[in-house]
Amino acid sequence: MARMGVFICWCGANIAETVDCEAVASYAGALPGVTIARSYKYMCSDPGQRLITDAIQEHKLSGVVVASCSPRMHEPTFRMAAASVGLNPYMLEMANIREHCSWVHTNRREATEKAKDLVRILVEKVKRNQPLQEIEVPVTQRVMVIGAGIAGIQAALDVAAAGYEVALVERQPSIGGHMAMLDETFPTLDCSQCILTPRMVEIMQSKNITLHSYSEVEQVDGYVGNFKVKVRHKARSIDMSKCTGCGDCWKYCLARNKISEPSGPAAPEESPAEVAEKVDTLLEKYTDRAGMVIGLLQDVQNEFNYLPQDTLVYLSVKSKIPLSRLYAVARFYNGFSLEPRGKYIIRVCLGTACHLRGGGRIADAVVRELGIEHGETTADKLFTLERVNCLGTCALAPVITVNDKYHGKMTVGKMMKVLEECAREKPEQVGVEEAQIV
Amino acid sequence: MTVATRLANAGDLASLRQKILAGRKSTKIAISVCAGTGCRAQGSMELFEEFQRELQEQNLTDVEVRATGCHGFCEQGPLVVIFPRKIFYRGVKVKDVPRIVEKTIRNNEVVDSLLFKDPATKKKCLLENEVPFYAKQQRIVFRNNGKIDPTQIDDYIAADGYAALAKVLTKMSAEQVIEQVSQAGLRGRGGGGFPTGRKWDICRAQPGDEKYVICNGDEGDPGAFMDRSIMEGDPNSVLEGMTIGAYAIGASRAYIYVRAEYPLAVTNLSIALEQSRSLGLLGENILGSDFSFDVEIVRGAGAFVCGEETALIASVQGDIGSPQQRPPYPAQAGLWGKPTNINNVETWANVPVIIDKGSKWFAGMGTEHSKGTKVFSLVGKVLNTGLVEVPMGTTLREIVYDIGGGIPKKRKFKAVQTGGPSGGCIPESLLDLPVDFEKLTEAGGMMGSGGLIVMDERTCMVDVAKYFLAFLVDESCGKCSPCREGVMQMHSILCRIVQGEGREGDIELLEQLAAYVKESSLCQLGGTAPNPVLSTLRHFRNEYEAHIKDKKCPAGVCTALVEFEVDEELCKGCGLCMRDCPTEAVIGEKKQPHKIDVELCIKCGVCYEDCPFDAVIAK
Ligand SMILES: Cc1cc2nc3c(=O)[nH]c(=O)nc-3n(C[C@H](O)[C@H](O)[C@H](O)COP(=O)(O)O)c2cc1C
Ligand code: SF4
Ligand code: SF4
Ligand code: FES
Repeated sequence: MARMGVFICWCGANIAETVDCEAVASYAGALPGVTIARSYKYMCSDPGQRLITDAIQEHKLSGVVVASCSPRMHEPTFRMAAASVGLNPYMLEMANIREHCSWVHTNRREATEKAKDLVRILVEKVKRNQPLQEIEVPVTQRVMVIGAGIAGIQAALDVAAAGYEVALVERQPSIGGHMAMLDETFPTLDCSQCILTPRMVEIMQSKNITLHSYSEVEQVDGYVGNFKVKVRHKARSIDMSKCTGCGDCWKYCLARNKISEPSGPAAPEESPAEVAEKVDTLLEKYTDRAGMVIGLLQDVQNEFNYLPQDTLVYLSVKSKIPLSRLYAVARFYNGFSLEPRGKYIIRVCLGTACHLRGGGRIADAVVRELGIEHGETTADKLFTLERVNCLGTCALAPVITVNDKYHGKMTVGKMMKVLEECAREKPEQVGVEEAQIV
Repeated sequence: MTVATRLANAGDLASLRQKILAGRKSTKIAISVCAGTGCRAQGSMELFEEFQRELQEQNLTDVEVRATGCHGFCEQGPLVVIFPRKIFYRGVKVKDVPRIVEKTIRNNEVVDSLLFKDPATKKKCLLENEVPFYAKQQRIVFRNNGKIDPTQIDDYIAADGYAALAKVLTKMSAEQVIEQVSQAGLRGRGGGGFPTGRKWDICRAQPGDEKYVICNGDEGDPGAFMDRSIMEGDPNSVLEGMTIGAYAIGASRAYIYVRAEYPLAVTNLSIALEQSRSLGLLGENILGSDFSFDVEIVRGAGAFVCGEETALIASVQGDIGSPQQRPPYPAQAGLWGKPTNINNVETWANVPVIIDKGSKWFAGMGTEHSKGTKVFSLVGKVLNTGLVEVPMGTTLREIVYDIGGGIPKKRKFKAVQTGGPSGGCIPESLLDLPVDFEKLTEAGGMMGSGGLIVMDERTCMVDVAKYFLAFLVDESCGKCSPCREGVMQMHSILCRIVQGEGREGDIELLEQLAAYVKESSLCQLGGTAPNPVLSTLRHFRNEYEAHIKDKKCPAGVCTALVEFEVDEELCKGCGLCMRDCPTEAVIGEKKQPHKIDVELCIKCGVCYEDCPFDAVIAK
């Protein structure tokens, strides 16, 4: 059974003015496992520390929470005091009721409640703490940074600047990570290339950094200060000592364009030439128009029934709209699908009017009947189920649409009939080969 | 279309109108079939073709068949009106066509069975305005909807269309236009209710020649569909309103942002654009003036947050629709960084009438601070669902009971939800509330875009709150964390509550989170997201307590907390529930009281909803 001591510091008026320290102490005293709870004007003063050490000895405390200032300030003070009377210093923790509470709040009642919360949380933590022993181990003075995104790059540069050797490992052929795909950064809308590219160059220039790009960490052994890491350099068939980075080989590389692009299914029936032709036709409508992305993607989707990955890649190259922007838009709006969809797209309205009149039950029935969840397509590619928040025919709630056809005043029974009808039309609607497969 | 030559001036427009009117005899027989999406969903286009076929076959070439926009009473569709007597037929099916042609067209007799029967008085209604649903309505925005063929600009012109534009271009300065709209007291119908005249004035005052006008047709509120109906049924009124607004502001380009789910609206708007361009009502030097203006349609792609104006602008620019910090307001720096004025579809549609009939006339309708009419979409657990247009200040009771006909199956009214996901629920005790911008907000609701969703005793308010939060979790753009994380946390607490795992203190926790989310979200999606929870807590706290303390759902909705049972006294053994039960959990012989096998029951609630005698009870 834990025997905890809780010590609330007033910090003069710093805490006591906003937090009712007495109330917090008596609250803490009643918490399970707490043996003693006291408040005092300055806990960090000698008499204050003595209050703690005496209590540790007198009550044989197993753990201590000091609720006062930030641990940055006095954690060493209190831990040393605890150690001086034989309590493992890691069995003492601090609840910060000054910076995190009294200084940032004005309402005394609310601040007191928050201080109680903080104390209670720390009491529970210390109950779970284990006594720790400090040991010393020799440290190999080399650092490995895994992942050369902006954070990894900066970390490697800082460590290198401090005079240590760094091994920087990156899975992709190029460093830069996600930031290289961004245009602006949140929340200041800074230009991300302006932040990233100088640092990428610095990595190559730094004598202390060894870059392992297109490499993967396979195994990590050892412990803090003494790790052993196995890194696999992927095949690149390039003699690095001769390569000047001219980039001519890129044109012929088969893997190019596949590497850092999001994966997704390609257009099922069209050859690359056909995709190009179709996208070109669609693009004609949009010459010279800013803000064309959404309309363009809608047209592509109408043409291909969804947004196949290869069409987006082609579109991006052709229209000079960054692929990242196309994907951002396609993912943001509910109207786009990056997966192939079925012959019949069933939209079940779950708008308020439909919800009240049992739209949810209709949706459940479809889920049960077809065995697919919202947004999924049946294995035979016949049905896709989508959920919409109002189809704008609320007077006929509950409403569903099958492709463009509306069905109002639905019941579970009517829904089943609609599904049956679609399934019956299947052979003539779907191409012959497909019909044989199913 | 009679002519497609450009109208050189206002005089040309007037003579074109005269010419169209002269060609139309008021005694001519015409069959007008509603071709709004609601009626189409019930087969009105097949009906339209059948009429054409039948008339052709019978050689009645003199009779015109017209496809109009939505009449609003979609519930009773497909709707057919026979002119000149204006006989109002409802629920017309293809098989009724020969009968109508034979009796009504040939012999001027009425087909009794197709008339609307007032459930209260049991009286049949011959004309549209005898139907109680329409009797209390005042149709200003919907002045043409259901009367004209939206694909024929002639129809619109015949109904005095573009007269307001002609007046503005020939007789009014930009300041006078703004003055008139301000004095009319028109406020934005898109939710916020910002005075339209003032908005225009701010945008007009901005420096620079390049300004934009946007029509917000995103209509994201689930349960509201008036904007759709206007865009589909009377697209020219929106274009005319926008042209007038652009003239007042000094803009020469505009965009209409149409919700992804509204293909027919895009079609009809495109037709209207083409026709008005060819008449010179859009384009260079409109009606011979030196004002040039054109409009382009942008299709949305399914994101609720794109209704928010800064997100909408981002979306028009082809970006993901995430909102921006305001200020700068769009009026200062909007589309492509230029001053931009955004108004809602219904707001725009009000503009021509205000110019036409004057600000006094418009301000004569409504309440002190809310003028004119508002279109509401009356849906949910109410008998007559559809679009209703009433003067501001009409009470909820009039809307729900007089127009809506009350609650189906004689159940008890519980609340009406207004304002979509940003709005709130208004309880029975406030039914006599006159609806306008201020009154709704005071009651914890919101005007929003005008969805009125009626809830009966079988609606669980905790479930409703959870439903809206789920919607908002889905639709949050994720840019700012109070909305992205806070709403999700609130939702997970509600999920816990409806699962029967609610804890002491959950209500307070919800309130606390709500305050944070409201205060610190970037845009109004997050800023209003807690409203559904707060308003249900305000008026229906006891339901939350029942879920948390007693682990009961009083409305019988939250499946984890109910068990269904058949009341043997009430059950007539009709077998409906047995037919629909997905797990065959209902057992019983025909005409004998049925029973539900608790082991098999998955609590889908089909039987609870189905039973015509309310014999299935939730425990
Ligand atoms: C999350 C969110 C969604 C909105 N959705 C719509 C909408 O669907 N239609 C609309 O007209 N206004 C919507 N608005 C309001 C618009 O931001 C804007 O205020 C309105 O279009 C202005 O037009 P008005 O002054 O004519 O009302 C929305 C606002 C928010 C915060
Ligand atoms: S409040 Fe929500 S929707 Fe609005 S910006 Fe923040 S995350 Fe996006
Ligand atoms: S639907 Fe109602 S009346 Fe009909 S068998 Fe079921 S419980 Fe009985
Ligand atoms: S809520 Fe379902 S159609 Fe509007």
